Amino acid sequence: MSLDNRAGRTPQRNPVADDGDAIHFCSTCAFGSVCLPAGVDKTALQELHCLVEHAGPYQAGEHIFRNGEHFGAIFAVRGGTVKTCLVDDDGREQVLGFHLPGEMIGLNAIHPAKYPCDAVSLDTVYVCRFSFPALATLATRMPGIQQQLFRLLSQDIGKASLLAGDHSADERLAAFLVGIADRYAARGFSATAFRLSMARGDIANYLRLAAETVSRVLRRFQDQGLIAVDGRDVTLADPHSLRHLARNIVVHR
Amino acid sequence: MSAMTPSNAPTFDADLIARYDISGPRYTSYPAAPEFQAGFGEADYKAAARASNEDPIPRRLSLYVHVPFCFSPCFYCGCTRIITRDRSKADSYLAGLHREIERTAPLFDRDRKVVQLHLGGGTPNFLDARQMGELMESIDSHFSLAREEAREAGIELDPRGVDADYVRMLAGHGFNRVSVGVQDFDPAVQAAVNRVQSVDETRRVLDAAREHGFRSTSIDLIYGLPRQSPPSFARTLDEVIALRPDRIAAYGYAHMPGRFRAQRQIDAAELPDSATRLALLGLTIATLTAAGYRYIGMDHFALPDDELAQAQDHGTLQRNFQGYSTHGACDMIGLGVSAIGRVGDAFTQNAKDLVGYYAALDAGRLPVARGLRLSEDDHIRADLIQRIMCNGVVDIAAFEARHPIDFSVYFAPELRELRRLAADGLVVVTPARIAATSRGRLLLRIIAMCFDAYLANPGASAAKYSKAL
Repeated sequence: MSLDNRAGRTPQRNPVADDGDAIHFCSTCAFGSVCLPAGVDKTALQELHCLVEHAGPYQAGEHIFRNGEHFGAIFAVRGGTVKTCLVDDDGREQVLGFHLPGEMIGLNAIHPAKYPCDAVSLDTVYVCRFSFPALATLATRMPGIQQQLFRLLSQDIGKASLLAGDHSADERLAAFLVGIADRYAARGFSATAFRLSMARGDIANYLRLAAETVSRVLRRFQDQGLIAVDGRDVTLADPHSLRHLARNIVVHR
Repeated sequence: MSAMTPSNAPTFDADLIARYDISGPRYTSYPAAPEFQAGFGEADYKAAARASNEDPIPRRLSLYVHVPFCFSPCFYCGCTRIITRDRSKADSYLAGLHREIERTAPLFDRDRKVVQLHLGGGTPNFLDARQMGELMESIDSHFSLAREEAREAGIELDPRGVDADYVRMLAGHGFNRVSVGVQDFDPAVQAAVNRVQSVDETRRVLDAAREHGFRSTSIDLIYGLPRQSPPSFARTLDEVIALRPDRIAAYGYAHMPGRFRAQRQIDAAELPDSATRLALLGLTIATLTAAGYRYIGMDHFALPDDELAQAQDHGTLQRNFQGYSTHGACDMIGLGVSAIGRVGDAFTQNAKDLVGYYAALDAGRLPVARGLRLSEDDHIRADLIQRIMCNGVVDIAAFEARHPIDFSVYFAPELRELRRLAADGLVVVTPARIAATSRGRLLLRIIAMCFDAYLANPGASAAKYSKAL
C-alpha cells in the first residue's frame, strides 16, 4: 500500500521549501531577500521569476551536473541533499561538500564556464535553476541582485574547510553536526533534529576519516548523551557541548 | 516506559478467548513471513546489506543458524527439518553453511560486531563436538564476533543425546543461553507425539548449563497435544517449575496436517477439545504466575529478574523470529536452509529445502529464495504492531513523533475496527493511547491484526496461519 494514497500523512521530517509562485519566492530562496527591502518594482520581480526554472525530482544517485559540462546555470537546492564530488582517473571519489535546501551549487563554475565537479542527489532532490546569462544581465539593472550574487560568491569562497587544520576526529564530527544543524536553523528548520541523507562512507570521505572512525565516534557521542542516532535520524541532545568540542574549527554557514 | 508491571498481569477470560480463537499471524515479523515474495532475490539482499552499512552508526549483527536435522520425528512439529540418523549428512550441510558464510560475511562491514548468535532447528545438537567446532570456527573467521561477555549466544537443545561434556563444549564456544525442548513430561502424551524424554535427562542438561556459566535457561512446553488433560499437564507444570528455568514458553499446538506431514501421525480424536485447550491455557497461566513467573506476552513467561522482564519494564523489548528478544537494534542474518533474516529494510528467507539450498550455492549464488522490502507503510505498521506485541500499549504522541503521520486520520479505519474490540473489553482507546486491558493481554495478536494491511482478505489468510491460541 502506498503511503501517498493514504490520508493522514504529514510532511516528511526532512524539509522541503514551500513552493513559490509568480509573486512569492520559495521560503528558502537565495534571492528571496533581494527585492522586497529595496522596493523593486513588480516588472523586475517578474523578470527574475521568469529566469528561475523548477527542476526535479532527481532520484538518489542522479546527477544534476557533471564535471566538465558546460556551465549555463547555478542551482538552488529546494528539497533534499546534494553531494558535490570529484572522481579521479582510478575511480576514487573525493567528496567536496553537501548542500541542503536553500543552498546554491554551481557558483564555482562561472569561470572558465565549466562545472568543476559532479553534483549528485543523495535522496529525492528538487532544485531551482537560474540561467546564468539571464541572471547576469538582470543584475546589471537590479543592484539588489548584483549584491546578492557577490554575497553568495563571497560565502562560497569563504567556506572554511573542516579539513584544513590538524583536528581530531571528535572535533571534525562535532563541527560537522553543528554545521549541519546551523545551516538548517538558518533556513528556519529544526536545529536539533535532522536526517542525514549521506552515507557514512560519504561523511567519512568528506571528513577524511575512516568509516569505522565515524561510527565509533558517533557511538561514543551517543553514549555520552551528546546525540541520539536512530538509523539516519540524528538528534542533538546536547548542542552546547558539541559546540564546545567544535570550537577550534570555524563552522561555515 | 514501564508498560507492563505485575499489576496489569493477564486476566484469563475463557469466554472472551473462545470468541476470539481465530487464525492470524504471530507477528514474529511484520509483514508476516507468508507475505514474503518469490521475486526477492540475491541482488535485493545485497542492496539491502550495502545500504545497511551506510547508516551513521550501522546496526550490530545477529546471526541465526538453522540446523535442520533431527534423529527422530516429533509428530507435532511444523519446523523445516530432516529426519536422519546419518551424522555425515551434517558434514555436507556444514560445507554448504561454510560457503554461505563465505559469501554473506563480506557484504557486511567488518566493524559491525556480531552481538547475538542463535542456533535453532531442527536439532542443533545433531552436530557433534567436532562439527560444532567447525561451524564456530567458520563463523569466527568470517564475522567480527563481539567479545564473549558482550555476546549473547543461544542454542536450542534436545536433551536426549546431550551430556555434560557436550554442554561444557558449548560453553567453551561461548554459548551462554540454552533453550530445552520438553513439551510435556506425561508418558502417555510423550508416546502420542513420539518424543519420550525423562525429567532426569532434562535436569542434567539444565544443571550442566548452570554449572558451566550459562546465563539463561529456557524450557519449551506445548499445550493442546493429544492425550493432555488439566491434571496431567498440572504435573508437567509442577515438574518444570521445580527445574526453575529463567524462561518458559508454552505454545498452543496448531493441528494443520494439511501443511505439516508429520502431524498426520497424530490421531485427531485424541486431541483435547477447545474447552480443554482453554482450560490448559488457563491452568498454565495461573500455575506459572503463582510460581513467580511474569507473563511477557504471547506464549512467553520469564522470572522477574530475567533480561526479558527487565527489557519489558524499560520499554526496550522486541519481538523477533525467536519470540521475544532484548536485541532489537540488530540486523539479523539468517544462515542455513529456510533461515529468515532482517537486514535494513528487507526481510529475507533462504530456500526451504536442501536441494534448492545446495543448488544456489553450487551455482555461486546466495540461497535467498524469498523476501520483502518494507514500504514506508510497512515500517509504520511494523512499529505499531511491535509496540502492541511487546508492551500492550501505544503512546500516540510518541508514535507520531517517530513517523510522518496524523495517527487518527492515517489509522481511521483501524481505529473504527478497534472500537469493536474496545466494546468487548480487550483494549482501551483514548486520543492519547491504545492500551490492552488485562483481559486483552492474552489476545495481543487480535489487537495487532486490526493494523495488518495484508489481512484485507481474512478468508484467504486463514489457511496460512494458525489459530490465535
